[in-house]
Amino acid sequence: MTQVYLPRTLAELWSYLEGKPEALVYAGGTDLLVKMRTGKVTAAPALICLERLAEIRDVRETADAIRIGAAATHAELLRHPLILTHLPVLTQALHTLGSPLIRNMGTIGGNICTASPAGDTLPPLYILRAEVELCNGETIRIMTIEEFITGPGATQLQKGELLTGVLLKKPVEYNFHHFEKVGQRKSMACAVASMAALLRLSPAGVIEAARLSWGSVGPTVVTAAVVEDALIGEKLSLETLAAAAGKIKQIVAPIDDVRATAEYRRSVSGNLLLRLLDARPPS
Amino acid sequence: MPLCYVFLRMHSTESDESHPPDTEETSRVNPYIPEIGKPVPRADAGAKATGAEKYAADHYGEDLLWAGVRRAGVAHGRIRRVDTEAAAQLPGVIAVLTGRDVPGTNRQGIVHKDQPVLAVDKVRHCGDGVALVVAEDRATLQKALSLIQVEIDPLPGVFTADDALRPDAPLVHEDHPQGNVLLKATIQAGDGQAALAGCDILLEDTFHVPVQSHAFIETENGVAWQEEDGKVVLVVSTQAPFRDKWEISHALGLPLDRLHIIGPYLGGAFGGKDGATVQCLLVLAALHASGRRVKMWWDREESFIAGYKRHAVRMDYRLGARADGTLQALHCRLYYDTGAYAHLGGEVMALGMEHAGGPYRIPHTLIEGWCVYTNNPIAGAMRGFGVAQVSFAFEGMMDLLAGKLGMDPLELRRKNALRRGDRNAAGVTMTQSTGIGDCLAAVQDHPLWQERKAWKRGAGPFRKRGVGVAAVFNAMGYGRGLPDSALAKVELTTEGHIRVYSGVSDMGQGNATAFVQIAGQILCQEHTAIELVQPDTERTLPSGSASAGRTTYTYGNALIKACEELHRRLIGRTALMLLSDTLDDLELLPGRVKNLASGREIPLTVLAAMMAPEDRVCISQFLMPVVRDKLDTGKEFVIGFPHLLFSYAAHLVCIEVDKLTGAIDVKAYLAATEAGRVLNPQSFEQQVQGAIAQGIGYALCEEVLMEKGRIVNPDFATYIIPGALDIPEMVSLAVESCEPSGPYGMKGVGEVGMNGPLPAIAGALADACGIHITGSPLTAERVLAALQKQQETP
Amino acid sequence: MTIHFLLNGKKTTLDVAPDRRAVDVLREVCGLTGTKEGCGAGECGACTILVDGESRLSCLMLAAQLAGREITTIEGISDEGHLHPLQDAFIQHGAVQCGFCTPGMILSASALLNRNPNPSRADIRMGLSGNLCRCTGYQKIVDAVAATARREEES
Repeated sequence: MTQVYLPRTLAELWSYLEGKPEALVYAGGTDLLVKMRTGKVTAAPALICLERLAEIRDVRETADAIRIGAAATHAELLRHPLILTHLPVLTQALHTLGSPLIRNMGTIGGNICTASPAGDTLPPLYILRAEVELCNGETIRIMTIEEFITGPGATQLQKGELLTGVLLKKPVEYNFHHFEKVGQRKSMACAVASMAALLRLSPAGVIEAARLSWGSVGPTVVTAAVVEDALIGEKLSLETLAAAAGKIKQIVAPIDDVRATAEYRRSVSGNLLLRLLDARPPS
Repeated sequence: MPLCYVFLRMHSTESDESHPPDTEETSRVNPYIPEIGKPVPRADAGAKATGAEKYAADHYGEDLLWAGVRRAGVAHGRIRRVDTEAAAQLPGVIAVLTGRDVPGTNRQGIVHKDQPVLAVDKVRHCGDGVALVVAEDRATLQKALSLIQVEIDPLPGVFTADDALRPDAPLVHEDHPQGNVLLKATIQAGDGQAALAGCDILLEDTFHVPVQSHAFIETENGVAWQEEDGKVVLVVSTQAPFRDKWEISHALGLPLDRLHIIGPYLGGAFGGKDGATVQCLLVLAALHASGRRVKMWWDREESFIAGYKRHAVRMDYRLGARADGTLQALHCRLYYDTGAYAHLGGEVMALGMEHAGGPYRIPHTLIEGWCVYTNNPIAGAMRGFGVAQVSFAFEGMMDLLAGKLGMDPLELRRKNALRRGDRNAAGVTMTQSTGIGDCLAAVQDHPLWQERKAWKRGAGPFRKRGVGVAAVFNAMGYGRGLPDSALAKVELTTEGHIRVYSGVSDMGQGNATAFVQIAGQILCQEHTAIELVQPDTERTLPSGSASAGRTTYTYGNALIKACEELHRRLIGRTALMLLSDTLDDLELLPGRVKNLASGREIPLTVLAAMMAPEDRVCISQFLMPVVRDKLDTGKEFVIGFPHLLFSYAAHLVCIEVDKLTGAIDVKAYLAATEAGRVLNPQSFEQQVQGAIAQGIGYALCEEVLMEKGRIVNPDFATYIIPGALDIPEMVSLAVESCEPSGPYGMKGVGEVGMNGPLPAIAGALADACGIHITGSPLTAERVLAALQKQQETP
Repeated sequence: MTIHFLLNGKKTTLDVAPDRRAVDVLREVCGLTGTKEGCGAGECGACTILVDGESRLSCLMLAAQLAGREITTIEGISDEGHLHPLQDAFIQHGAVQCGFCTPGMILSASALLNRNPNPSRADIRMGLSGNLCRCTGYQKIVDAVAATARREEES
């Protein structure tokens, strides 16, 4: 029998962690409990569930930034007006994540710490230049999500440390947000490939700024300055996008798995760029 | 069989003004007679919607033990040692058993007894059981299963039908006289393949379909215990409780009268619970449990690994036609991969072969089939039993032919559609209702077909739209060689209710509701006065398996006879009580029998009190008619060929293809179905819609993936079945006819809808993009690859 | 450990292992077998329950997480023997076939209607997209939820 702690405050959490430093932490359980069932994670000395930790569950706004508590569920974020207003690319991604049931349970912090190449919130968080806030009860570390996630399922999270929040600058310089996921069905689908994009388009249709990222086509989310550079300063056209698509296909490093071949993922990561042809800045 | 006789004796009670006022109980629900032809809500829906219905999985009990199986995990090998010592020593473990502990023959199998309950010498697929553990709780059970040391010397395996047929192939069953060939069979009609030579057009192609999983939501499970008198009771999620009893008796060497099987409503089955799953294992466990209840409930992964599957098939087709599109000759070779044990493999292939020419007139055919053992999971019955596979091939050939001739694909199908009196491609005369032509006409008249060109023009950027059609059919009943029989039993209870004892399972298809309707119709009772007993080998009578689209047809026919007999008795006994010298004025009404002339009534409770118990019970048997033709072909089939009755359907699908991802989005679906008369439009639509959804899954995403016999996607995260967003709005048209042999003119409708979606979607894909994919499922990846190849070819 | 919670409106106290799955506690300890299990991994939705009115997967919740919550299972959704409007609509519209997904579907639908009393058919499909059904093809389930929403709006 394993103890299960449900701290209500961070102070309680630190004290549990002090007593049981080997305890495994989960929020929604949609990842850890599945892995424990299949034996991918073996019995922990204790479990700490974050679902009642109100301190790290809210969304706050400052003049130029948004701070999301790590234990905010996907469903809460999906219907949060601040996210919809300032980070529509994240809203779009959340819309495709799991199912209503999974979104009611899973959290953004869990999605980040699971660090799956297919994590649906990750491509948006990469192009939003998200920073993660890591706390061990005494000190706080802040680093970019790109630094934090080091490989499939691997992060810089240290023993005794908790991901407490996600910090995002409002991407005011972009007027077009886009996310698309290719999965094997329309809900409950693990991304076979995905792409997130932020663009600034001039009234004449010239791409003035671009940030792009791809999920499920490498050990971590793939970003490519060379592709962004190929777009910036160009008119949004099929030719421009096709040229960029050719470049990204060279850069991504997908694998074959039970859902798709690497070859398919490579093709699609380029093709998804073409969807930006529909991009129109909000009038 | 009187032609729709019962239609003539329907009578209404609407005019009866002496109807007693509603009781408080019935005033909430409008009382009604669950009449034939009305969309009567299902008899089982209330208990299911409130969570009150007890499925097999919901049976626990005091002092419950848990049983589980250690699986081989090796596709082919010799068992060197199964060391159970450590597991047996674990506190909380009640018993650890191996094949050597199985009394009886240790052999299961519906037709061929080749499947051990627990393997002794050899394992033939990864899901073979090698040890059985009974423990106090699930955690102990898991621990004990992991402590069993299994040493298996691997043998080279065979994992495709092609591999299995090589002369030097390793043998799955060394003692099988035909090597790896479970069954080789031939159906020939007319001049066979010789006629291909004289055809104006000859087309050739090869099709592949993968393994599909039933993916019912309630996985295989049951509870068993031994009573003080030695009898073992088994509550199990099964499609065939009476056959289970015989199978357990044979495999475990227990006398039939020591087995009592109870089969509650199932949480889905679709063919996957037609045969041995947990039955023998649980009874064996119960024999070692000192009277305590033992529960076994496979988890999702075990259900994938050890459960039955739909056969993967390779289909080589050659089709010959005249220049005007008249079909002339067909030659096909079908290779069914039946996995490690025979199960129903030969019978599945037989049905596939019988349907290999589609619902068309093809005068000259040669249909060859090989049903082959491999070291893959066991294949068996699944909705569209062998037919869902060949439907992809024959309809694919029809689309190819239409393309070659520049002919409208629907016109081509109408031109060749079977009519009553024709011989089908297996050479059997269609003597019964044959409605495929009417189904195709209904599709042709529908706006989805009429307005398809405009609709297709509306595709957005990077998208293409297409419309496809398919004409399909599916036989009903067991076919020749096996009596397709049911024994209906109906009782007037002492409470004045009508109790129907159903011996045939309701796995969700709704036959139980049809039985309530039949009893309500004939005995003129409200639905609240009709009770249903689900299969129970001590209360109900053997009525065959819930399979082959036969449940309502066969049991329904038997039930009509039993209810009519009970009706006669109730009237006759009332005459005694009311001192009537004629039966003419006596009318059976809800809750009573009334003399319409005198106005005097006898409540059914009083009548029941007067009648002797045996007088209140009527039993009747029905035996399905069989084909009268004497055929000089298909002689290799011991059972299951040919069939007399078929249901028909024409399907239309509208799809949109995303050229950037290859994904197919199904936008609209139409099915026109002929299954005789419709007893209940709601139940009918349920079957049609549900079959289409499973068919769409089969068409687009469902594929059990294997690496050397090991399933690599044994869960719902990786074996993808459609969700609510993946299935479009569906239109179901009932193209009614009257099948004289059917109860109220009906035929089974459960299976035919499964066969249409794959070929229709493949046709729509060809229509949208000009690509012809012959290997299913039509995943985004396959479609994108085909689109890229198309672009590269000038 | 001892946990206190409100189960279908009744104050409930149980002595259970804190790491036991909620679905097992409900089915085996509380005898509420209307909550089904189909996959154990959050993929099928058969084990859906309401936790403080929100839909959750009880196969991915541990007993300790029930503490202090208001838990509603299919057995608790009807009111004093009167069917919940969704239950009635599922029956009338033919949304029940084998019925093994039905409790989870009804609870997901109820959570959906609580948040969005006037959903489109697309909204309903989205709301039920975590609950797999292998029998119905979903259409009659969508019909039943849409009819319930209409009925609630009219009354």
